[in-house]
Amino acid sequence: MSLQILPRGKWVGARVKRVEDPRFLTGEARYLADLQIPGTVHAAFVRSPYGHARIRRIDTSAARALPGVLAVFTAEDVATLPPLASGLPIEGLKPTPQTVLAKDKIRFIGEAVAVVVAENRYIAEDAAELVEVDYERLPAVTDAERAMAPDAPLLHEDLGTNVVYQKVTTLGDVDSAFAQADRIFRRRFHTNRFVAAPMETRGCLSVYERSSGQLTFYSSTQMPHMLRLFLSLFLGIPEHKVRVISPEVGGGFGQKMTIYPEEVVIAYLGKVLGRPVKWVEDRRENLAAATHAKEQIIELEAAVRNDGKVLGLKARLIGDGGAYSFNTASALIEPLAAAGIIPGVYDIQAYQHEVIAVCTNKAPVGAFRAVGWTAAQTARELFFDEIARELGLDPAEFRRRNVITSDQFPYTTITGMVYDSGSYQESLERALELVGYEELRRRQAELRQQGRYLGIGISLYVEPTAWGSEIALQAGFPFPSHDNATVTIDPTGKVRVAVSVHSHGQGHETTLAQVAAEILGVSIDDVIVEHGDTDRAPWGMGTYASRSAVIGGGMVALAAREVREKVLRVASRLLEVAPEDLDIQDGNVFVKGAPDRSLSLFQVAFAAYLDGRVRAEGEEPLLSATKFYDPRATYSNGCIVTVCEVDGETGTVHLDKIVAVEDCGTMLNPMIVEGQVMGAIAQGIGGALYEAMVYDENGQLLTDTFVTYALPTATEVPELIIEHLETPSPVTIGGIKGIGEGGLLAAPASVAGAVLDAIWPAGRAIEQLPLTPERVLAALGGETGV
Amino acid sequence: MERVPITVTVNGRRISAVVEPRMTLADFLREELGLTGTKLGCEHGVCGSCTVLWDGAAVRSCLVLAAQADGANITTIEGLATDGTLHPVQQAFWEAHALQCGFCTPGMVLTAVALLAENPNPSEEEIREALSGNLCRCTGYQNIVRAVQLAARHERAGT
Repeated sequence: MSLQILPRGKWVGARVKRVEDPRFLTGEARYLADLQIPGTVHAAFVRSPYGHARIRRIDTSAARALPGVLAVFTAEDVATLPPLASGLPIEGLKPTPQTVLAKDKIRFIGEAVAVVVAENRYIAEDAAELVEVDYERLPAVTDAERAMAPDAPLLHEDLGTNVVYQKVTTLGDVDSAFAQADRIFRRRFHTNRFVAAPMETRGCLSVYERSSGQLTFYSSTQMPHMLRLFLSLFLGIPEHKVRVISPEVGGGFGQKMTIYPEEVVIAYLGKVLGRPVKWVEDRRENLAAATHAKEQIIELEAAVRNDGKVLGLKARLIGDGGAYSFNTASALIEPLAAAGIIPGVYDIQAYQHEVIAVCTNKAPVGAFRAVGWTAAQTARELFFDEIARELGLDPAEFRRRNVITSDQFPYTTITGMVYDSGSYQESLERALELVGYEELRRRQAELRQQGRYLGIGISLYVEPTAWGSEIALQAGFPFPSHDNATVTIDPTGKVRVAVSVHSHGQGHETTLAQVAAEILGVSIDDVIVEHGDTDRAPWGMGTYASRSAVIGGGMVALAAREVREKVLRVASRLLEVAPEDLDIQDGNVFVKGAPDRSLSLFQVAFAAYLDGRVRAEGEEPLLSATKFYDPRATYSNGCIVTVCEVDGETGTVHLDKIVAVEDCGTMLNPMIVEGQVMGAIAQGIGGALYEAMVYDENGQLLTDTFVTYALPTATEVPELIIEHLETPSPVTIGGIKGIGEGGLLAAPASVAGAVLDAIWPAGRAIEQLPLTPERVLAALGGETGV
Repeated sequence: MERVPITVTVNGRRISAVVEPRMTLADFLREELGLTGTKLGCEHGVCGSCTVLWDGAAVRSCLVLAAQADGANITTIEGLATDGTLHPVQQAFWEAHALQCGFCTPGMVLTAVALLAENPNPSEEEIREALSGNLCRCTGYQNIVRAVQLAARHERAGT
């Protein structure tokens, strides 16, 4: 396969306004909650108010008696549905099956114990309050390290432990590295549990047609084909009789790539009740019961020479997985992904990691933009800042002495990742230049004299992207995948592109149209991109892990290429010249060097479909091709530098500006790349300074509203300065690399690093994120163990 | 519960209806009138997705009851474009790439419209302050701020 089939030209690389925007701007776009199907009834879940309890008895009689209520289901009523279990084929990972409604016992606050179906949502919620559940409360454990203790309350008694995975891996000669070191450093970090919080909550709508046995299932999901497969297996409906439609999706960020118990329940209710059943969760449910993310306890140890060279690293990573090692995800995803990326952009030759996944009485953990990598990057970068200071080196200089340089590509890391290309040192130098680093350091010293705290944080990162089979394996997740595109030119010469990747804000209808337009020689106005409906899009995994630009772009390029060749073969017969002598531009097929000898794409397509004489032996009349793409591993990179000032009186952090230099190879549309970077950085600011899911020791969730769980607003996000470097990947079609996650991978380290830098050496005392005013003040006051 | 008769003007159309006393304005607009452009992101008055214009002022339709809207003049996102031409704020959001998933967009656009009606020449700080009651999880806000600046310039130039 030629990687060069996708040239940069009129469309690829252009700042094209998004073609999908008008329907969002006018309110015409239809999300799950907006769908109205006649006869629909509404579901509300009864959720546990406790973190850990045995269910003694459930009395649904009062709820059932309420006028307008159709049904109340508990675990007993859905006993034919199999439990959800981890799909990760990893040796040593203990299973923690989760029934779709809690049976006998609940393990986190917000776990669903029953579901009510009523004529409208108001009645359903009233009835849910009438369901009486008699709980026997059990001691809870909400701290991962306490959960590992032999006397800790057990979540899954049959396992005899809360530790669902534990493994030590030694790579390279770690003992020698530590023996040869001039200095050994140690540091512990507890990264915060924060959440995707898409503005649209989860929801689904089940429509079952009894006469044909067909299920149409609408869901706010990132992966419609995966959901269809799972629903087919769970409900025992053959897959060809299941259609999943993901309408407009109001943000996912990984949270909507899980198959949720609620989805299975609603699908089932639609089938057994014979009425369309709709469920739209409220924000409280979303915060309590949709997947959480990113909480780890990471202990790092470094063997370092006095000149700053890091000889070896040790890491102990404890992932706080919550109550269940969750079906399509797992408690392992955070610490395992983190372990792989701890060396990051640095040339580390000896490394030992211990990966531990633990169950606690908290919501299960799932994917959220830069799974595992956010915590790993944060811990390592903050640790390296500290080592640099202890050695008397500038943090930037310390990074220079350890970073992988461009002459080392392709570079195989000690953990087995193959970095294909990049600009690691270049992005560091450019970001420092843009922010005015040397001048800032001088200013910092001046202000410190005046008792003011200016800080600069550097986060230099590599981002695994294009989540296909190879990179998944390199990152420790042996999960093969592929995605598919169908490109079709209809008889009137217009183009339809159907893809298995899914857009929930990423702008695929524009970027993938740009790819097709480039190759087919048409305007993007003549291209429509379809996704999200399993009946209209070809099979594939969906969108997650910065995969859609690379995989989507590649598969559309391949399919468009094949269609282009068909078009040229038909036109060559019509124009009586060889296909190689033809080109397509602006919707016209013409003879190279003789542009007046041309046919419109309409004429060629019409003939292809309706004039058998232009069809060669063995040629199909349809101008259509379906192609798959499963790319080689490719890695983006960049550097984020934050400048902040900390108020020594109040402990509050004022962000002055953030500079991000990123390199995602060939850009399909720089405007969309910038949007991805800026949005992810804003989430990173939230993670560094504001956002945390907090449970008390009884398992009570203290942050179940947007008042107590605070997202950054327009006044918290400072000026963001984005600059692109462009090192095309040598291993992917068109040289594209992904860009979705880098901002959230790297920004928390940059922002937190700036705060710790501002208040150093007091920052040494802080090990827990986010950096709230209380923690900052306590550190400044000299308290330890914050 | 005794149902309440109301008369309300929505996007220029006078509507008489009888509503349950506990029905929110947001649910009335979405469920009864089919105006689903108004979004519900939190239903507790923080996220701003449900923002509509009430006699020109930005109001959270999840926090008021339909019954309270008796006599009010409401504009939803569906009422902003005229004859298929985008409102300058909508156009500016498009040009500045101020939306990704689009869920917060109706509320953001209407909040910006209310701001510019009151202050046609806002500073960046004033824009950020005005938008601070609307959450967006996709964009990082920068392009939204730019869009409002762009719309202000266009409106002042009369384009």
